Amino acid sequence: MSFRLPLPLTTAIVSLALMQPALAHEQAGVAGGLVSGLLHPVTGIDHLIAMVAVGIWGAQLGAPAIWILPITFPLVMAIGGVLGVLHVPLPFPEVMIAASAVILGLAVAARLRLPFAAAAVVVAVFAIFHGHAHGAELPRAANALAYGVGFVTATGLLHLCGIAIGTLTRWPAGERLIQGLGAGIAAIGCYFLAQGVGAFA
Amino acid sequence: MKPNLLRAAIAALMLLAGGNAAEAHIVAARLGDFYMGVVHPLTDLGDVVLWTATGVLAGTLGGAKGRWLIPVFPLGLLTGLLLGQMLGAVSTQLADAAMMLALGMLLAAAAQVPTVLLCAMAFVVAMIRGAANGADLAPETDRVLFAAGLACVGYAAITLTMALTAAFRRTTADSPTSWRAIAVRALGGWIAAIGLMMGSLALAS
Amino acid sequence: MSAIRYLRLALLAVTLALAVLMRPSAVSAHEAAMGVLEFREVRPGAFVGRWSIEPSIGASRVDLRVPPHCFLRLPEMNCGTKGLVGPITITNLGSNMSVVLIKVVPIEGEPRSYTISTANPVVSVLGTGAPTLEVWLELARTYVNYGIDHILLGADHLLFVLGLIWIVGGGWRLVKTITAFTIGHSASLAAAAFGLIGVPERPLNACIALSIAFVGVEIVKQQRGEIGLTARYPWIVAFSFGLVHGIGFASALAGLGLERRLLPAALLFFNIGVEIGQLAFVLLVLALIWAHRRLDAVVPRWGEALPAYLIGSVSMFWFFGRLVRVFAVI
Repeated sequence: MSFRLPLPLTTAIVSLALMQPALAHEQAGVAGGLVSGLLHPVTGIDHLIAMVAVGIWGAQLGAPAIWILPITFPLVMAIGGVLGVLHVPLPFPEVMIAASAVILGLAVAARLRLPFAAAAVVVAVFAIFHGHAHGAELPRAANALAYGVGFVTATGLLHLCGIAIGTLTRWPAGERLIQGLGAGIAAIGCYFLAQGVGAFA
Repeated sequence: MKPNLLRAAIAALMLLAGGNAAEAHIVAARLGDFYMGVVHPLTDLGDVVLWTATGVLAGTLGGAKGRWLIPVFPLGLLTGLLLGQMLGAVSTQLADAAMMLALGMLLAAAAQVPTVLLCAMAFVVAMIRGAANGADLAPETDRVLFAAGLACVGYAAITLTMALTAAFRRTTADSPTSWRAIAVRALGGWIAAIGLMMGSLALAS
Repeated sequence: MSAIRYLRLALLAVTLALAVLMRPSAVSAHEAAMGVLEFREVRPGAFVGRWSIEPSIGASRVDLRVPPHCFLRLPEMNCGTKGLVGPITITNLGSNMSVVLIKVVPIEGEPRSYTISTANPVVSVLGTGAPTLEVWLELARTYVNYGIDHILLGADHLLFVLGLIWIVGGGWRLVKTITAFTIGHSASLAAAAFGLIGVPERPLNACIALSIAFVGVEIVKQQRGEIGLTARYPWIVAFSFGLVHGIGFASALAGLGLERRLLPAALLFFNIGVEIGQLAFVLLVLALIWAHRRLDAVVPRWGEALPAYLIGSVSMFWFFGRLVRVFAVI
């Protein structure tokens, strides 16, 4: 039973990920704002994997990270979003986002156990960069509240997905699976990092 | 239990995405202005988010504090509606965002809000939303019936939200790290984040 | 003592003010502004249309749309060889006009009637012949919606149900009481719709108001520790007053001029709609009662009598208003 759930979920995420990002920018009004807010965090693969990685890492770290992160993470993202909307410039946004996927992926793969304060700072810095990217690309026509609701819900759900995957650490086989997943995330992150650095060269 | 809740939440969200103010006006043509007052706030995302935040915050604080909202909240809605009609329509976006941020932060911090402050915040929320609900009324709408409907739905929604939250938390003396308490606090964090996003968007546009 | 008297006076003033607010919806529910438009076929495909009852907003302001192949300029309508088949719509039904009945009298065959309401602004006119599945679905949609609307707008029926819940409380007893009320009003609704019993509408409405006052009195009795009739035999009271309320429901169906063969089905669907609305109301009230208990937010001791007096005052206000109208006719 528990093995049946991930398949449709993965299908849904993959099919959403394959959609044209343009779709997230077209509609206006309440429904449009909600849809674009929901799709924005899941249409960029680099964002998506980083969000999930944060959830997994939080679950690996255990208390108190596993319960403080769901409460504060969307809030810190939103602070980054505010900076993005107000067009406050941050250094190398593309590189930082790709780097976040690499570093978080490696942390999951290596089961890196930082003290909570250090881990919180790492996650918070990356969250601000991710939120900034979403805020800066925001569709102007959409209903502000609906976009916020969709955006926060999608981010929060991705985070919960990560935590759910992270609970597999209870079993040895699951632990290995998660480490493999972390390595995969880091690899995808490397690809985006190369792309981002290549854009500068 | 958990997937069911999640599914219900997604279904509710989809329903909200489909519903809009136009639907409330269809209801008005069919069932009159009282029911328009009932349905109007339920189809508005701002009302749903803010009312839920207020109800959940009061519910986590327990019945002894929360029950004051049963009269305070509808009265606030009526006051806001009246003021909105007298002073003319104003955009409530920034005020909405500020209240979302404030309520969400209090909820996320699991703060023991004093009763007076809780009542004052609920009254302010209700006043803002009452004014917003009265902003786009057609001239032929019966204001008194609309106000009665709005007050009724405000009473029912806030009472049910508080009671459901209290039932979900089980006991107020619950440890602050039980998963039920965390779920409620996480909801507060999300609402605060929504308020932050919305406020910055309102400022930027 | 005098303080209590002042409190009661204040209470009365508040309830009367409330009742004045509630009056319009109750009145409009039971004396709906209705129009009747009759199309009489004079040659095959050619009709003469005439308002036999003009709607309150005036016949000229009704935005009537006929099937596209028909040419309408009242009083004439020409549908050619295809005949009158297809959708008829009234787009501007609203608060001033709730129901329009369209009667079609063909040269051959039975006259047929179609009801256009705010719940159902489009009807499909079908040719002569046996009713198809579409006709049944159309009928179901129209009358279930009409039933829901009727109970939701009938503040008097809802207030009576509220009083019953107040006396009986929750649980199994409530299920039995509500079932008895349902059986009672279904039976008399059917009897009235088939013309087995006929009660003039205005005195009946006054009786309905009195039945609510009766429930109010029973609540007060219960609070004083006396065991009233309703507390002892709730289902008997619910059943007998259900009979009265059912005739009231039937007055909403009367005058719609349904075809006789469709009447039983229409009645069934209307009743289903009423039950859906009533069940939703009962569930909402029960949920609110649960919420109040959960929050420990019960009525304080000094205000215990308030709901009963509220119900009583509102119903007596309705009763006197309706009584005046009874004598205004005679």
